[in-house]
Amino acid sequence: MQYVKAFHILQKELAIEFRQKFAVGGVFLFAATIVFLLFKTFNNIQTRDWVLLIWTIMLFSGLNATIKSFLQEKKETWLYYYTLFDPLTLLVSKLIYNTFFLCILFALILCCMTVFSGFPVRDLPLFMLSSFLGILGLAIVFTFVSILAASENGGATLMAILALPLTLPTVLLLIKTTSVSVGLLADSAVYDDVWLLGGINCLLLGTILVLFPFVWRS
Amino acid sequence: MEIVTKKHRLIQATRSMNTHVKGKWWKLAGVVLFLYVLIGGMTVPLSPGISSVTPSTAVNGDTVKLNAIGYNTHFLSSTGLGGWLKLDSSHILEATTIKPTSETEAEFTFVLPVSFPDTSRIQPLTLIVDNATDGGFVQPNALFVSFTDIARSGPPWQSEIGKQLHEADALRFPYRNILNETVRNTFFHIALWFAMFLLLLAGLFHAVKYLKTGFPEHDNKSAAYHKVAILFGVLGIVTGSVWAKFTWNTFWTTDVKLNMTAVAMLIYLAYLVLRNAVSDTDKRAKTSAAYSIFAFVALIPLVFVIPRLTDSLHPGNGGNPALGGEDLDNTLRLFFYPSILALTLMGNWMANLLIRYERVKEKIWYHS
Repeated sequence: MQYVKAFHILQKELAIEFRQKFAVGGVFLFAATIVFLLFKTFNNIQTRDWVLLIWTIMLFSGLNATIKSFLQEKKETWLYYYTLFDPLTLLVSKLIYNTFFLCILFALILCCMTVFSGFPVRDLPLFMLSSFLGILGLAIVFTFVSILAASENGGATLMAILALPLTLPTVLLLIKTTSVSVGLLADSAVYDDVWLLGGINCLLLGTILVLFPFVWRS
Repeated sequence: MEIVTKKHRLIQATRSMNTHVKGKWWKLAGVVLFLYVLIGGMTVPLSPGISSVTPSTAVNGDTVKLNAIGYNTHFLSSTGLGGWLKLDSSHILEATTIKPTSETEAEFTFVLPVSFPDTSRIQPLTLIVDNATDGGFVQPNALFVSFTDIARSGPPWQSEIGKQLHEADALRFPYRNILNETVRNTFFHIALWFAMFLLLLAGLFHAVKYLKTGFPEHDNKSAAYHKVAILFGVLGIVTGSVWAKFTWNTFWTTDVKLNMTAVAMLIYLAYLVLRNAVSDTDKRAKTSAAYSIFAFVALIPLVFVIPRLTDSLHPGNGGNPALGGEDLDNTLRLFFYPSILALTLMGNWMANLLIRYERVKEKIWYHS
C-alpha cells in the first residue's frame, strides 16, 4: 500500500465531487426533500420518530451517494486503476472518501432535521461516537458491495439488494444507541453496544481487506 | 450371442447397482436416522405431569382441598397414590386424604402448618404426587401461602417424605407445563438450526477454497450448500414460528434472536439474488464467494453476540437457562443428536443432488 497514491486518489475523488456539483447537490437535495416531506406529514416530529427518521434517511441517501460515486467510474477507468495501484491502496482511499462523504452527508441531514424538528440529543458524546462508528460501518459495507456490483448491468439495484440486509445489524445498534442518547431509553450498559459497533466494524473491515484482492482481479 | 449380451447386461446392471450403493451408505443412514427421529419423536409419550392446581393461594393454618388436573396420569387405576407439599428439603407436608375422581383428576386435602421458617413474604409450595404406575412427579409453585396473625392451630412440618417414591422405568419425554406435547419440536426446530449452521460452514469452506484455487467446482459446491442451508433456515423459522404460536401465543414476537435470524436470512436471500443477477460465470463465482464470506462474518455478531446482550425468550439468553441441564434430558438427547446428524446428512444429500444437476447442465450446455 502506498500512502501517497492513496492520498492522490482521495484528492482526485474530492476534485471530481467539487467539479460535478450537480451530483453532490443531487444527493443533498434528496436528503433535504425527504426531511421536508416528513416534516410536513408529521407536523410535529416526536423524539422516537426523530431517531428512526434520521437513520432511515441516512441509510438511503448514503446508499444513493455511494452508488453514484462508483457508477460514475467507467470500465476503462477501472482497468486504468488496475494497472496503476495495488488493490489495498484503492480500497483504503475509496473507504476514506466514502466515510468522509457520508459524515458530511450526515451533518447536513442533521442540520435539516434540527431546523425542521429540533435537536433532542442529550448525551452528545455518546451520539457523536456511536454515529461515527455507525457511519464507518455503513461506509465499509457500501464500499465493499459497490465493488461487487460496480461493473454489472443494473448494478445500482443489485447493490441496494446486497447492501441493505448487511447494514441492518449496524443500523439496529445505531437506533438503540441513539435512542439512549436522546433519553428514550435508559441503559447503563449502552457502551457495550458502542463497543459492539466498533467490533462489527473491525470484523467487516478485516474481511474486506482480505477479500478485496480476490474480487478486484475481475 | 444373445447369452453374451444378457450376461453383459447383467454385469452392467450389477456394476451400476454397485455405483448406486457404493459410497451412498450415509444417505441411507440419514434417512433411517430421520425415520427413527420422526417415529420415535412422535410416538414416545410424555411423562405424567400436573397441568393445573386449584386453588392456588391459601393462608397458613388453612385446610386446603387442592384439585389437581394431571396429564398422562393414572390416578384411579394405579396403586399407592400419595401427595406431598414441599417448602424446602426439610419442610414437607403429607396429604391427609386423597380422592381421585378420574384418571387425570384428584383432590388432595392438606392441613397447612401455622409456623413457617420465613413469614415475611408469600411462600411458594411444590406439589409432589407419586403412584406406582407413573412414578413421582412435581408441580412447582402449586400453592402460594400468605400469613395471618390470627391464632390458629396446625400440624408440624415433616422433615422428609417418609417413603421411597416410585420410579417409572418407561421411556418418556419430560413434561413441561407450557411446552406440553410441543417439546417434540426440539428434534426439528433446534436440529434444523444446527444442521443449517453445519451446511453454511461447508458452503463457507468451499467459498474460501474457490477464492484460493479458482476451481469452478468449488463454486458449484459452495452455492449448493448455501442453497440447502437457506432452505433449512426457512424451515427453522417456520417450525419456530409454529412453536411460538403454542408457547408464546403468537407467530412472531419482538424477540431479538428471532429478528436477528430474520435479518440473517435476508442477507442470505440477497446471496441468491446476487447469483441470479450476474450472468458471467467466472464473475458470478468470484462475487458470490466473496459475498458469502462477508455475509458469514456479518452473521456472527447477529446470531451469537447481540442476542446474548439483550433479553430474549429463547433458552440461553437474557438470564434464561441454556439448552441442557433440566431442559434437555437424556430421553430428549436420545432423539435430538440423531436428528442433527440425520438432517445434516440429508442436507448433504440435497446439496449433492444440486451439485450433480449443475454438472449435468454444464455438460449439456458444453455439448450443444
